[in-house]
Amino acid sequence: MARRLRPPWEGFRRNTMGKEELRKELLKTLHEGVVEFEEDQVREAAQRVLDEGLNAYDAVMNGLAAGMQEVGDLYDQQEYFVPELLMAADALYIGLDILKPHITLADLGDSPKGQVVIGTVQGDVHDIGKNIIKMMFDVAGFTVHDLGRDVPLEKFVEEQLRTDSEIVALSAMMTTTMMGMEKVIKMIKDKNPDVAIMLGGAPVTSDTADLFGADGYAESAGNAVQEAIKMIGRLREMQAK
Amino acid sequence: MTTMTPKERVKGFFNREPIDRMPCFSGMGTVTIQAIEKMGIRFAQVHGSAEYLAGSAITTAEMFGFDGVVVPYDMCTVPEALGRGASLYEDADGILYPTVPSKWANLDEVDMPEDLSSIFGQGRMPVVDEAIGIVKAHENGKLAVGGWVLGPFTMGGQLIELDVLLKGLRKDKERVEAFLTKMTDLVIAVAQHYQKLGVDFMNIREMGSGTDLLSPRMWKTLIKPNLERVFDALDSPKINHICGGTDLIIEMMNDCGADAVSVDQKNNVVETRKKLGNDAMILGNFDPYGTLVQMDASDVGAVIKKCIDDGVDAVWPGCDIWPDVKMENMEAYIQAVREYGKAATSAVGRL
Repeated sequence: MARRLRPPWEGFRRNTMGKEELRKELLKTLHEGVVEFEEDQVREAAQRVLDEGLNAYDAVMNGLAAGMQEVGDLYDQQEYFVPELLMAADALYIGLDILKPHITLADLGDSPKGQVVIGTVQGDVHDIGKNIIKMMFDVAGFTVHDLGRDVPLEKFVEEQLRTDSEIVALSAMMTTTMMGMEKVIKMIKDKNPDVAIMLGGAPVTSDTADLFGADGYAESAGNAVQEAIKMIGRLREMQAK
Repeated sequence: MTTMTPKERVKGFFNREPIDRMPCFSGMGTVTIQAIEKMGIRFAQVHGSAEYLAGSAITTAEMFGFDGVVVPYDMCTVPEALGRGASLYEDADGILYPTVPSKWANLDEVDMPEDLSSIFGQGRMPVVDEAIGIVKAHENGKLAVGGWVLGPFTMGGQLIELDVLLKGLRKDKERVEAFLTKMTDLVIAVAQHYQKLGVDFMNIREMGSGTDLLSPRMWKTLIKPNLERVFDALDSPKINHICGGTDLIIEMMNDCGADAVSVDQKNNVVETRKKLGNDAMILGNFDPYGTLVQMDASDVGAVIKKCIDDGVDAVWPGCDIWPDVKMENMEAYIQAVREYGKAATSAVGRL
């Protein structure tokens, strides 16, 4: 079981705790809350981060995202499967919703991380993989324009133009919908060749991504999850430098 | 050597009687764009017409030499009959399979009729029944006709939001179990209905339950008991198909009471054969998209040969064939099954 926050009657002890000690304790609580899907624990700890005037971005990256990294390891080791990933993601979002409004531009290196348009292509109603990738962008501080699932191809083009997003991330869980990706890529690149396009989903391979003219890909639903979590890990490493 | 009709070949295969050669068929969709174009129609038109469904299945079989046909092609007929709708994408370019547009958002919204047979008159269910009748009657029943129904968990994922179902397996176990019991009753009712219509084999596709999604422990406690109940209620021949990761659950799959297991390219069939023994009937396991759409035709034979060398009793694609196949790849696939499928396999002898 995850360690719970100390009950209120221990407040005196808590108040005497040093700032760094408190930070470590809250990061650990957030981390464990994500791993153990303890939404209340995450909510309480995220709120305390704000109440104590601690850094929200630090709490996201070294608490919530670090927890998600452990979830990724547990998934790699086949201890966790998709239900556990989804529950961990729910817990992460509880914390992220509280902390994100308090992340400053300075936290993000004085420039916004950018914008991404994401969705599953028309004919595909599977959006679990897409939602996990979306979480990765959310954690990293991107502004995410989520078009949802079963999205008509032109909608990706319109939304990219409307928002001037740097990235368009397309997901197709089924072979049968994957061909739609090629059309979207062509439509977007015709209008704006600088947009980076990421493909993800079970049937997408690196060859397909190359063939379709995409800039990046995630090999399978499982790999997309692993890759997304590894990207969070790399972001944390970069931030630590 | 005695030559069998396609239906005799498939029936003999499932009866484990000696047959002339490996049958070439599938328990999932095998319709091709070449057949649809020959009929002068579009893929989106096929799903709502018994004539088009049956015609495209028969045309594909005859064009390439399949021993059997399977209808329908989409997974929305039952959800549609339960009022969840079906998006057919009639205006979209290219091939899009129908999807379910309005799943139940949560377990509270689930609304199943008490009399499950009432759904057989709803949506496109009568169209499918009629199509089965047409393919059965074609040339005095020359072709084997397969039926398929999604397994209880996968059917559940077509009717309710999948993430609700997946999270519910841990967070709301009792109610999800009750929902899966209802889904099991539904699957049995639909599969028995198709068996009464006279399909020659029944494939239960519990596609969404592989270990890409669920742990083996969860599979054992939440998937297996429902599949056991399904197979207990059905006549033979009946097949237990799961795509995705199956290596960790293959023995449990084989213990569910089906006559055969069907797996996709992620399964290590050499190991599966060792685990299940020579009597087990194994179907699989090539990647239909990679093999029939992407690959050079000259490489297809080796893929099919490997399936047979690894130990399958009949070569099945791991999923529906994507309709936009290359003609020459389809021909190479059928040719390779004929060529390499002459010898007896572990579970089925030859004349």
